[in-house]
Formats: sequence, structure tokens, C-alpha cells
Amino acid sequence: MNQKDVAKNRRRLYAVESISKRYGNVVALEDVDFSVAAGEVVGLVGDNGAGKSTLVGILSGVHMPDSGYIFLNGEERHWSSPHDALEAGIETLYQDSGIALDLTVAANVFLGREILKKGFLGLFGFLANREMQEHARKELERVGIAAPPANRPVSKLSGGQRQAVAIGRAVAWAKKVIILDEPTNHLGARQSAEVLDVIRQARDRGLAVVFISHTLPHVLDVTDRIVVLRLGEIVADQATSTFTHETLLKAITGLR
Amino acid sequence: MTKPTSDLLLQSRREVETRKQRIASFVLRQDFILFIIFIVMVGVFSAINPRFFSVAAAANILQDFSPVVLMATGQTFVIASRGIDLSVGSTLGLSGVTMALVIRTLNAAGLNPIATIVLGLAAALVVGGLIGLANGLLISYVRIVPFVATLATMGAAAGTSLVITGGVQIAGAPRAVILIGNVSYFGMLTAPVIVVLFILFIAWASLSRTRFGRWTYAIGSNLFAARAAGINVEKHLVKLYMLSGILSALAGAFVYFRLGSGSPLSGRGGELSAIAAAVIGGISLQGGVGRLTGATLGALITTAVLSGLILIGVAPNWQQIVVAMLIAVAVGVQGFGRGGRPGEQ
Repeated sequence: MNQKDVAKNRRRLYAVESISKRYGNVVALEDVDFSVAAGEVVGLVGDNGAGKSTLVGILSGVHMPDSGYIFLNGEERHWSSPHDALEAGIETLYQDSGIALDLTVAANVFLGREILKKGFLGLFGFLANREMQEHARKELERVGIAAPPANRPVSKLSGGQRQAVAIGRAVAWAKKVIILDEPTNHLGARQSAEVLDVIRQARDRGLAVVFISHTLPHVLDVTDRIVVLRLGEIVADQATSTFTHETLLKAITGLR
Repeated sequence: MTKPTSDLLLQSRREVETRKQRIASFVLRQDFILFIIFIVMVGVFSAINPRFFSVAAAANILQDFSPVVLMATGQTFVIASRGIDLSVGSTLGLSGVTMALVIRTLNAAGLNPIATIVLGLAAALVVGGLIGLANGLLISYVRIVPFVATLATMGAAAGTSLVITGGVQIAGAPRAVILIGNVSYFGMLTAPVIVVLFILFIAWASLSRTRFGRWTYAIGSNLFAARAAGINVEKHLVKLYMLSGILSALAGAFVYFRLGSGSPLSGRGGELSAIAAAVIGGISLQGGVGRLTGATLGALITTAVLSGLILIGVAPNWQQIVVAMLIAVAVGVQGFGRGGRPGEQ
């Protein structure tokens, strides 16, 4: 990147530069630049093993890069745990594994950010369960996702409802950036359309959205820009309007 | 305005429970089933030997129940986080003999008996806390699986008990110890039993009503989700194993108050009683679920059945077999009709 590009990159809300990550001898990411602006939906696509999950892990504070820089609002940051990234306003929906099935809907929405009772009992960490149920229901409805009963264990919900809880949780808490790793997995056409609507709403509220998916029609439908990873390197970073299904597929696979 | 979307919502409306379903789910609740088992058991034993239905028998059961329920409580927290603590029995033993040695030594030095008891109890709690800390560090930071880590500390604690006592029982407790452990109020409650019941209440509130308990279940249910939600999983696990160690140390102190001596062999096999109580109480080894009321009833049932068998004249050698059958029946009844893969209860 030349100096001008660097400056532009830093104006974006959330950006990583020159990120490399290895697992032993395996290069997961090599000199990767990635950024997303407020009110923008960026699609992150690539074949299995292209490095998407590793990049998601670095963006959300789960993994630490071997080298490279992370900028939020133009300031350099370091995440030593997911907690740091959450505190900074970056929410992540992890593929398939983001919710605790034995806990209720409300407990999942508020996990790690529980509301405590006021006064004496709160000092001992007593939970304000009713308040959390009420808030959870409102938050899930606000983001446009049908709310399953907030006091029900997630294990009793259907796959679509579970996904709704996970997405609702991420969207409800996100202050700056929201990273959605395969949010339309396991969903039917109609439920997927709802999720894409939720993504558009989040963008319209000024959030920076990173959307990771294997379902290319969804990516082409909802994103403003698409970044293609192949074997740990970025091979394309262009406006969505410049891609067709075929050219995107070619960029992902590298086949001509 | 967001639209009130979709088939998901309709589905959730359909799922509103009817009154009939609520009653059915209450009747099927583990705690309720266990309570019925307990009542039936008391009825059967009392019918065979009326002495079972007496204040004296109840007092005896409470004395046996207390150390078991303390260990089962720690076990419940640990198992809810999808771990296991095999070191609880040895911790009971080591903290008991530590307390006995400290009290005997200070007593011989002419210190006030109450002061020696306080210092002895403190020493026992420190021992339990340190064993728990060792377990927690091995599991969280050295990344040894809980079964193996606590197997190691179990052996280390049991061995240490033998080394520091030379393998013999440590007597020489001041008279105050025996009085504290055996004078009962209302015919059946000694001071230590009252303390245990109070601790049980605190532990119940902590597991079911606080953030600490919520995080414990979250870790047991989905470690990754807990970590992603910003919970410091490693630190929380260390706290859980320390809690288990300290509760086991209290169990050791309880036994010392009751007997007035510390034996390096006491607590042997205590981990099995504790795990049995928890499992009978419906605590799943898969983590993420289980209530302390269940483990308490589990401890009550296992200790009451042992007392009962003695009173109706069953030879002590049969006791283990009966407890084994209890585990199979209680867990089987709770899991009946629930489906799932074989062996998944």
C-alpha cells in the first residue's frame, strides 16, 4: 500500500494492516489489510482454509496476530482477549458456537453483561432476572427478530430461533462494529431474508458490518464491498457492484 | 418501526404452556422425584424399625449428612462447569489432620482453647484453599483435564496426610472441641450442623441467583460462548476449584469437631459419596445444568439409606451395593422418556 491508501484506511472505523498469522508452519494469513467504515457492509469471502476464521478471530480479539496493526477510529489498539474488543464496541456472532444451550434466551443475551439487583443484593452479584427478560424481549423485537420466550432455555428452541437469539444478541450490543460469521447458516430462505434485513438495519444505524458467508447470493445482495481471501492472502477488494456471481466465484477459487 | 416478523414468532406463541403442562413438568422435576423417593424411603425404614422415625436418628443422619453435603456442594459447582473434583475426600482428610495437629501443638503450648480452635480451623481452610488453587491452576493454565489434575492432587493430599501424621490418628483435642461438635440444640442440631445448613443456603443462592453461578453454568454449557462473552474463564475455574477445596476443608473440620481427633484415613472415598450425591441429585456430568437442591437431596438420601440399613439390621457390607442401586434408579427415573443417545443422562 502507498501512503495515500494507508491514510484512507485509517479513516475507516475499523481497520487491520499488514496482519500475519501462522500456526506452526502453516501460514493462515499473510500481510492482510482489511477495513470497514461506519454504515458500510463488507463481505468477507473465501474457500475453506482461506483464512476467514483466523481473520474473524483477530478482528474479535480471540486470536492475536503474529505481526500487524489494529486501528479503531484511527487509533492503534491491541486486543488481549475478546473482552477487550467487546468493551471497545465490537460484537461478533461466531459460526455455530456463540450461545450456551443450557441457559435461557435472556441469560444468553446478557451473558457477561448481566444486570444486577439494585442495592444490597446487587453488591453480592444477585441477578435481576425479570429485568433482563424484559430487556431481552424488547431488544430482540427492536432488531426485528421474532423473540422466543425470554425465560426459555435455548436448547428448547428450533435452529432458526437459536440463530435469531445469537444475531439479536450481537446486534443489540454492538456499538461500533458487528462481525457476523455465517449468520444465515441452517436457515430457510425466509429466515435468511430476515437476517439480511437485520444487517441492512444495522448498517442504517451507522454500524460497520462484516458479513462472512459461503452463500454468494446473500453476499452479493447485502454487501457494499467484497473482500476475497485465498490461501491467506487478499486477492480482491472491490465494490460489490463490480462483481457478478461468476466473477466472484472465480476470484474465490482462482480458476479461470 | 420493525415488523413483527415471521413464523418464528407464531411458533413461540404456540409454545405457551398450558396449566396442565406446567403441573406435568413440575411433577417430572428432579427435585420433586427425589423428595418422593426420600419420603418413601423414610416410610419403609420406619415401618420396619420405628426407631428410624426419631429425633435421635435424625440427629445422627444430619451428622453423617453434613460432610457429604459440603463436598457434594463443591462438586455441584465444579460439575456444573463441566469439570470434576476427585480430590475432595483427600482434602477432607488432610485439612482434618492439619487442624488436629495445629490444635494439639498450640494446646500443648498452653494457648487458650478457643484461640487454638480458631487457628486450627484457619489452618484447615488454608490447606483446602491451597489444594483448590493447585487444582485450578493445573486445569486453567497448565491445561490438564480436571479428572487427571484432581486425581494428582488427590494422591498428593492423601500422601501428605500420612507423612505429617506418621499414619496415626491425632487426638489431644481440648474438651471445647468435643462440646462444640456434639452438644445439640432442639435435640438434633449441633452448632456445626447449623453452620453447614447456613453455608448450604448461601451456596444455593450463589449458584442459582448470582452472576457467579450464571457464569459457572455458562462455562459448563459452552466454554467458547462464555469466553466470547468476555468472561475470564480461567480465573472463574480457579475460583470454582478453590471453593470446592474450602468446602472440603470445612467438611474436614466438621469431622474433627464431631470425633475430637483427626485421622489420615478419614475422607477416603469421600469423592465417590460426593459425586454420587450430585449425580443422584440430577447434576449432569455434561455440565451446564443441575441444582444444589438436587445435590442436597442426593446427599440426604445416600446418608439416610446407610443409617436406615444399619437400623433394620442389614450387614454393612451390603451398603455400597444399595448406594450403587440408588444411583442407577434415581438417575434412570430422572432420565426416563427423555430420549437422547445411550448413556447420555
